[in-house]
Amino acid sequence: MEAFTAVSYIGAGLFGLAAIIPFWMVLAGSLTAESALSQRGYSFWPSPFSTAAYAAIFSGTRVWLAYGATLFITVVGTALAVAATSGLAWVISRGLPRLSRGLAVFSYIPMLFSGGLVPLYILVTQMLGLRNSLFAVILPIVVAPFLVFVQVSFFRGIPGEILDSARVDGAGELRIFFQIVLPLSKPVLAVIALFYAVTFWNDWFHALLFISDSNIYPLQLVLHNMISNLSMAQDLAGAGAAPLYQIRLAMTVATIGPILLAYPFAQRYFVKGLTLGATKG
Amino acid sequence: MAAINDAGLSRRSFLLGTAGLGTVGALAACGNGGAGGDSTSGGSLSLLLPGDVPPGWDRVLGAVNEKLEADLGFTIAPEFIAWSNYASQSLLKFTAGEDFDTALSARWLNIAQLVESEAIIGLDHAFASGDYPELQATIAQDAFDANRWPDGTVYGLPAVNSAARLHHYTVRADLVDTYAGGSIDSFDQLEQFWYDVHQGEGIPGFVRGGASPWLVLGGPTGVFFPEGWENPSVIPVFFSSDSLFFVPAADAASTGSSDLVPFWEHQPYVDALRRVRQYYEDGIINADMLNIDTATAKGQFTSGGAASVWAITDGTSTSAHLQELTAAVPGASLMNVMPFADGLAARPSQTFQADNMVVLNASGSDNARALQVLDWVSKQENHDLLQYGIEGTDWELVDGDRYRQIGEYANFPGYALSWRVDRERKAADMSDSEDELFTWSQDYSNFERDTFASFIPDLGPVETEHSQITAAIAEFGLPLWAGAKDVDSGLDELKRAMETAGYEKVLEELRTQADAYLAEQA
Amino acid sequence: MTGTTEDTRAATPGKLKPTARAARRTPQERGPVGSRRRRGVQWRRKDYGLVILAAPAIVFFLVFAYGPMAGLVVAFQDFNINDGVFGSPWAGLSNFEFFFTSGQMNRILLNTLVLNALFLTATLGAGVLLALMLNEIRGTLLRRGLQSAVFIPYFVSPIVISIFLQAFLAGVGGRGGIVNDALNAFALPSVSWYTEPGPWPWILTIVKVWQLGGYFSVIFLAAITSIPEEVYEAGTIDGATRAQMAWRITLPLLKPTGAVLLLLGVGRIFYGDFGLIYAIVGDNGILFSTTDVIDTYVFRALRTYGDFGTTAAIGLFQSVVGFVLVMIALGVQRRYSKESSVL
Repeated sequence: MEAFTAVSYIGAGLFGLAAIIPFWMVLAGSLTAESALSQRGYSFWPSPFSTAAYAAIFSGTRVWLAYGATLFITVVGTALAVAATSGLAWVISRGLPRLSRGLAVFSYIPMLFSGGLVPLYILVTQMLGLRNSLFAVILPIVVAPFLVFVQVSFFRGIPGEILDSARVDGAGELRIFFQIVLPLSKPVLAVIALFYAVTFWNDWFHALLFISDSNIYPLQLVLHNMISNLSMAQDLAGAGAAPLYQIRLAMTVATIGPILLAYPFAQRYFVKGLTLGATKG
Repeated sequence: MAAINDAGLSRRSFLLGTAGLGTVGALAACGNGGAGGDSTSGGSLSLLLPGDVPPGWDRVLGAVNEKLEADLGFTIAPEFIAWSNYASQSLLKFTAGEDFDTALSARWLNIAQLVESEAIIGLDHAFASGDYPELQATIAQDAFDANRWPDGTVYGLPAVNSAARLHHYTVRADLVDTYAGGSIDSFDQLEQFWYDVHQGEGIPGFVRGGASPWLVLGGPTGVFFPEGWENPSVIPVFFSSDSLFFVPAADAASTGSSDLVPFWEHQPYVDALRRVRQYYEDGIINADMLNIDTATAKGQFTSGGAASVWAITDGTSTSAHLQELTAAVPGASLMNVMPFADGLAARPSQTFQADNMVVLNASGSDNARALQVLDWVSKQENHDLLQYGIEGTDWELVDGDRYRQIGEYANFPGYALSWRVDRERKAADMSDSEDELFTWSQDYSNFERDTFASFIPDLGPVETEHSQITAAIAEFGLPLWAGAKDVDSGLDELKRAMETAGYEKVLEELRTQADAYLAEQA
Repeated sequence: MTGTTEDTRAATPGKLKPTARAARRTPQERGPVGSRRRRGVQWRRKDYGLVILAAPAIVFFLVFAYGPMAGLVVAFQDFNINDGVFGSPWAGLSNFEFFFTSGQMNRILLNTLVLNALFLTATLGAGVLLALMLNEIRGTLLRRGLQSAVFIPYFVSPIVISIFLQAFLAGVGGRGGIVNDALNAFALPSVSWYTEPGPWPWILTIVKVWQLGGYFSVIFLAAITSIPEEVYEAGTIDGATRAQMAWRITLPLLKPTGAVLLLLGVGRIFYGDFGLIYAIVGDNGILFSTTDVIDTYVFRALRTYGDFGTTAAIGLFQSVVGFVLVMIALGVQRRYSKESSVL
């Protein structure tokens, strides 16, 4: 094994450990009795073992409803977002005179300038009437300029010869996009979809702004309320004796868990491509 | 090219996505009425409440609305906003001109701005009209008047459950038995107790999350403020409680001159700062006061990790801690230590300005109905239903008039709607010492009305300086309140920052307004 | 963005039919990576499909980004709830005053720049490095496992990060902590981290790298994925080591992606990472001297007297500075590498 490969194993392994260990401690902490946590702090092994926090979280319908709302936001949001983003990113990456450049500037400006919360709030609640609709959470972040440009930079890597030969065959732009560009772009589509999914999954702020019906609170808003609210964690268990530390940690596990399961699906696409470059040498 | 085979699928999903984006507008139209609890649906009054939805809320709200419908002919649809977002979100809703009807506000929230923008309505006329008898019967005229704005109008109904708000201590009674012979009657005894517990048990005497000026710069009592035990008469004056505190002259009422000075020129305050610094260095208080939150500190106390915590006279000290504490530390018990050398013979000064007020939105759907609701919740049975839930299911009466929680329903934020001094029930597990202090604190006649009782300064002329001062206090003041910084150098830094921010102009303005207030009172 | 490029220059002669203009150019194919700028030379009727592709995103930007920008007028108004966004009285530049006369401005601007520059370079650097390293790992299971692992921190909310940082640096009660235990084990004195402002830019940077290193590595991994195999074949024949291939072949090919990410980051350099910094530092004034950024300062100053106009003014200021910095960055970038420019 070459030195660089060895270094890579060690480096990536260390980073992986640094990422895993705190998460493991969150997991262990979420299963440790409250009194041990607040007195001794965190440890690697749950002792004394307690599932009180999970019992508190999953009792009642609240968290289950929240999973439903979050799932809807993530699935619908990601589908809309990937569609809108790829379309725009392709047009920008086409390098058409005026149009592409204009669109690039047009998409970049919102990264710099924003009208602030109040106009957005008035727009969504009063002009669009989206109050208490899950689309109020999806639409304001359905195109992220950042990801548009990430995708543009990938689209530009598609070999021009392929496109030109299609053009010579008389294919229109739509056909080129759907039959050539998209199939060639699976890795980046997977990445973009993953990033959007994560964004939608993690978003609590737009839900805070626009959702007042607690039956359709997404998961992250429930978590946010729980760990930022003084009396909140008690509310969950009712009697005023809920494990505060433990619940914060257990909610973290509950919100990370499902999206981590989704990660390998996206990974499949770019790992396949990855092996090509990696198996050489 | 093999990849083209997949194109059909990609295309279909792409078009679906695009079409979806287009039809969102149509869906959006349904979104509004789709979910229950919206502000305008079905003759329902929208109320903004801080905190989170109480467990069992739908059931209790159902019962409340059934009764409301029968009594008044309409219902309510409260909306809960998490505490950490409440200030910004409620202001946003006011700013956007939304038509909710009531909200919680206060000087430590953004009532000043709401008044300036005429976003909330004056309540004097309604309060005096006689149309809302229950409201009038349960809110003392004194308490109402103490919240009068410089323009002569009252904008917020006090939602308080005691007359006086006195900072004091909730202490582990079992440790007091062991280390202090069963009772603490002076600050010296308390300090000795803290040191002994630290020595004997290896835990801090006092734990707290988040530094607050009230701990050190008492008004009139504080946690580390021995002066307050002897002479609970000094209440600082300020534009907002997170900015700079000024101390008025003791004889301001008779001379007609406020002679305000910044807090660092009031010697007892500086002494208290030195004291808290000493505690920090000796391990008597937790060292992470600046960076942990209230819930974390509470967890440390209830798991037996400290001998005392901060308390205020709102009757919730015992019930907030006891159950968790006894679960973690079998045999532990609690008591509230009153911060007076003279016991309850002390006559502390009070402004009676409410920490929590209910305000009525000028753009609300129906202000008269909002007042009807406030009147309705002032009735004992309605008050009980909203705050404690359904009797027999959620709570039961014990010892005559106390309540014991038996169901899931808890933590309704009554301080944003229904807290009334005469209507509060005491929790069955309230300690005798808290009971004594709480009951005493509910009687307005036990207190001296402060010289600046209803003085609410207008910060309009010094807005810029005020913002800068507020930022600088957080930077240079909070570490001092927490004892985390050397007092001499820390105060020097603070003063320099205050000078840069223009505190002299603020002081000048405040003096002018305070003197004008005194002249008006005389 | 306003600078003239070949494309716009070509477009200036007026409303030539795209096909006519295209005729003046020859499609330059410079291999798979270099063929960006001139690919779209033909602009035919059926190309209007492009408009359909871009339309949804354009509508989105118009409605949700450009529409609300009208609200920026309040930056110059003495905003009043009753009079609303367009009815409030004009106030000139008075909304900008509190920040610029605070006496803290220089320090806060410096903190904002230093912290964000640290965050940006460290997270991007970590992302590239991590991607290169992950790319070396052969075992499918191990590679997948590590890839998933490094992504986890992205999901941990700032509040939970803050709780853990306290456990590491201060421990229960604020007088211990795992790091101090380790220091003591090597006979080094404990550090009271939460009262020492000095190390905090680095602590925050480490947290940032921990949080975002994996996130960025995914982008770079995808970029590595799109590098065609043949590119490496030449290297293999030359007998280059893995390190040489990573350094000479992979890394240069990651430049365009890196340049895009860098440019995007520069535009936001005046926005602090409020969520993370506030969750970790909170109201701990002792640390402000090295951690206070524009967003945290403004939040603190306007907490009880928050004013829509003032907030908008600060936001506008941040945007304008970001805009200027991006223009400069674009200029520099154009000078050194035309290919990687996004705008």
